[in-house]
Amino acid sequence: MEATHTTYDAIIIGAGAAGLTASIYTARKKMATLVISVDIGGQTNLTEHIENYPGYFTATPGFPSGPRLMQIFDEQAKHFGVERIGGKVSQIAKKSSGFIVELSNGERYECKVLILTYGKVQRMLGVPGEDKFLGRGVSTCATCDAPLFKNKTVAIVGGGNSALEAAELLAKFATKVYLIHRRDAFRADEITVDKVKALKNVELMLNATIADIKGEKFVSGAVVQNVNTNARRELALQGVFIEIGYIIDTALVKDLVELNENNEIVINDRCETSCEGLFAAGDLTNVPYKQTVISAGEGAIAALSAYNYLQKLEGKPAIRSDWG
Amino acid sequence: MTVKIYTTTHCPYCVMAKEFFKKNNVAYQEINVEEDEKAAEEMVEKSGQMGVPVIDIDGTIIVGFNKPAIERALSKAK
Repeated sequence: MEATHTTYDAIIIGAGAAGLTASIYTARKKMATLVISVDIGGQTNLTEHIENYPGYFTATPGFPSGPRLMQIFDEQAKHFGVERIGGKVSQIAKKSSGFIVELSNGERYECKVLILTYGKVQRMLGVPGEDKFLGRGVSTCATCDAPLFKNKTVAIVGGGNSALEAAELLAKFATKVYLIHRRDAFRADEITVDKVKALKNVELMLNATIADIKGEKFVSGAVVQNVNTNARRELALQGVFIEIGYIIDTALVKDLVELNENNEIVINDRCETSCEGLFAAGDLTNVPYKQTVISAGEGAIAALSAYNYLQKLEGKPAIRSDWG
Repeated sequence: MTVKIYTTTHCPYCVMAKEFFKKNNVAYQEINVEEDEKAAEEMVEKSGQMGVPVIDIDGTIIVGFNKPAIERALSKAK
C-alpha cells in the first residue's frame, strides 16, 4: 500500500502481535496510523500450532496456524484503516515534538508518537563461512529446511529448547546429527533433553562451538572447537543449523532510550520508554515472558498510553482507567 | 504464466507465500520437496541454495517469501 500521508499521529515499527494490536487500538482511537515492517507476524509465524492463544485451540473449527492468526490480526488492522508499508527503518530522529522515521530506501515519514514493536532478530555465530553458506547448508529454520537434509550429516548449534527440538526433528531425516553446545549442560526442558539423548543418530558435543564453516558451493564441513582446551576437530557434514537464540537490534534507538543489561528497551507499566512520546511493546522490551498473548496485551497498553499522551499534549481529557 | 512453489510441509514462510497467491488469485503448482527427493534436487539446482520456499514464476527464481520480488515477477509475467 502506498502511504497517503507523510505525517501521522502514530507510527508503529514492527508488525507482530504487539505492533498489529497497537495499530488496531490507535486506529480505533481515530489516530492516523502507519505500520512499517519487514514482515507480518514476527515470531508467531514460526509457530505452526499456537495452542496457548486464548480463543482458539485444536478443537476450535478453523483453528489457525501461527501465520494465519497473524494474518487475521493484519486484516483486522486494515479493517480499521491502518496503513502498512513494507520496509526497513534505517534511522529515527527526535524533533522538538514528534519523530522522523527514515527507511533504507530514503523514504521519510513523520509522526507525533512512535511505538516500537519490532521484536528480535536471530543471533548468529559470527564465524567464517556462516554468511557465505547461509541458504547453502547453513540454516536458521529447522522447521523449514530439515527435510532437505535427508540422508545427510548435519550439526546443530545451541542448547535451548529450539536447538533440542531441531535435533529431534533433524534426526528423523539426517543420517547423523551432531548437537554442539558451548556449555556442559542443556538449557532446554528436561523432557526434550531426555528424548534427544535417547536418539541413536544424535551425538552430543558439549563444551564446544563451531569455529569455521567450510565448503565450496555448499557446506562440506565444519571445525568444532572445545571451549576449554581449544582442541579442534573437523567434521564432514552438509548442514549447520544455528539455534542460539535471539537478540534485540537496538542500533536504531540506543541513543534515544534506556536499555537494560540484556539490551532490552526499558518500559514502565504504561509501556513508556525513557524518551517522551516514544513507547515500546513486545519482545524487544524488558517485559518477562515472550509470548504472543503478552505481546498483544502490551501492544494495547502502548497504544492507549500513546493516545493519552497526545490528548494531554492537545489539552484534551485523557481516558481514565476502565472500572476506575 | 506458470507459477511453481517448492515447499516443505511445516515451513511457515511457504504457508505465507501460498496464502499470498490465493489472495491474489494466482494459480500455482506446489511441489513438496519433502515427499519428492528428485524435486528437491531440481530446486537446489534451480536456486543454487537449499532453503524453502523457492518460487519459480516463468523462470524467474525467488528464494524465500520475498513479497516485493514476487510482485515484480508477477507483473512482468502478465
